[in-house]
Amino acid sequence: METTLAYLTIAIVLATLLINTIATQIARARRDSVILRNIRAYATMPQYIGESLETDRPVHFSFGSLTPGGVTAPLTLANAETFTLLATRTTYGTNTPLLTTSEVATLPIGYDILRRAYRTQGRLNQFQIGAVQWYPDGARSLAFAAALTATMADRRTGSNILLGGFGSELALILDAATRRGQRAIAASDQLDGQAVAYAMSDELLIGEEMFVGGAYLGGRAAQTGAVVALDTLRVLLILTLGFLALDQLLQGALLTQLARVLNVGGGG
Amino acid sequence: MRRLLAILASVVTIVVGIITIGDLTIGLPFSNGGVAAVFLRLAVITLAFLIVAGVLNLLIVHIGRIAGRERGFPYSIILLISAFAVIALWLAERTDINTILLNSVQVSIESSLAALVLFALVYGAYRLLHRRLSWAGGLFILTVCIMLVAALPLTEIGVLTDVRNWFMTVPVSAGAHGILLGIALATIVTGVRILVGQDRSYRE
Repeated sequence: METTLAYLTIAIVLATLLINTIATQIARARRDSVILRNIRAYATMPQYIGESLETDRPVHFSFGSLTPGGVTAPLTLANAETFTLLATRTTYGTNTPLLTTSEVATLPIGYDILRRAYRTQGRLNQFQIGAVQWYPDGARSLAFAAALTATMADRRTGSNILLGGFGSELALILDAATRRGQRAIAASDQLDGQAVAYAMSDELLIGEEMFVGGAYLGGRAAQTGAVVALDTLRVLLILTLGFLALDQLLQGALLTQLARVLNVGGGG
Repeated sequence: MRRLLAILASVVTIVVGIITIGDLTIGLPFSNGGVAAVFLRLAVITLAFLIVAGVLNLLIVHIGRIAGRERGFPYSIILLISAFAVIALWLAERTDINTILLNSVQVSIESSLAALVLFALVYGAYRLLHRRLSWAGGLFILTVCIMLVAALPLTEIGVLTDVRNWFMTVPVSAGAHGILLGIALATIVTGVRILVGQDRSYRE
């Protein structure tokens, strides 16, 4: 890696680590004073699960094409946390939730989510091995979308929570859910999938909101701290972008001035 | 015992994570990228082995459906026959037949499904107006209409084509960058949480 880029990467990681540590400590010390902004989708998810339990229908979770073996690894783990918290609530019902993925590498995570959910409630004997299903193959798979629509119909799912990697084929899945009167909340890390989710999902989750399910559904201090850290970094990014845009308008005057100040400071 | 395993998992994750990131960025003095390459190769090999788990999962799920006469079980029979046929053809070194099957069956079906996506999308946009009548929803529908009309190959709608191009280069591009930057920020925060052992998902 190029030296400047390498040091910049390390600087970003260290800055994130610092902000995250401070935010976590603040969240631990002043638990009640940290108020997360309202995200309707997370408020609605438990409600949908409750409705599914009442109507004796299974809940469907899907990772899409997310895999723990690449750049989507953090999102895979974040969604695993969200799915675990939600799946734990479904274990009171008679139907085992359904968890689908189009990436074989996510399969062990899927099993772990459901096993952990059932173990937490002391009902591990109710866990069914066929509840986690892999439909090949890869990103933007229409075959995956077709298989999902069929499975959703066969299992008569009550609600579908689709958080992960989906392309425009998500339209087929959400359309099938609508036609069968099933609830659906969807979000994708791919732009075309996200656009489809915006138009067709019952509730919205956009971009980084997918990563914070643990804080909204679990509420541990570390998870809340991560949300505060994310918001702080977002503000810093906006300020940086604003500064650079202003500098562009002023034809580089701001950066030149800043370099001069830093240089003077370094010399002094 | 479980607590001990959780601590061990955290320690392994933190050590491997820090070594990998250090080796990939500044290059550790004793390895200079070598250790990170070994870790990454190990991950790739582990993932490759999981394909066996995937095939087993496919068999367990669909044999279970057939055995339980669950709704839609005939599809499971077709799926299993197709899977075994493809494996048998591969073992018999008749990959040409597999290619023909792929091109004439799977590609055709996927193409027809791809055509259906447009109708599902338009219907979804229509439903959006019913469900969430907001300024954002209205703007979304208006933009979709402009984009669809401007995509028509008509010379009379040159103005709309210009509008479409402007949409694509300015607001769409800005929005897309905004979403991607948000995802990138969240990825960094989550990555750091995993690196310092704050994430519970792998240690319980």
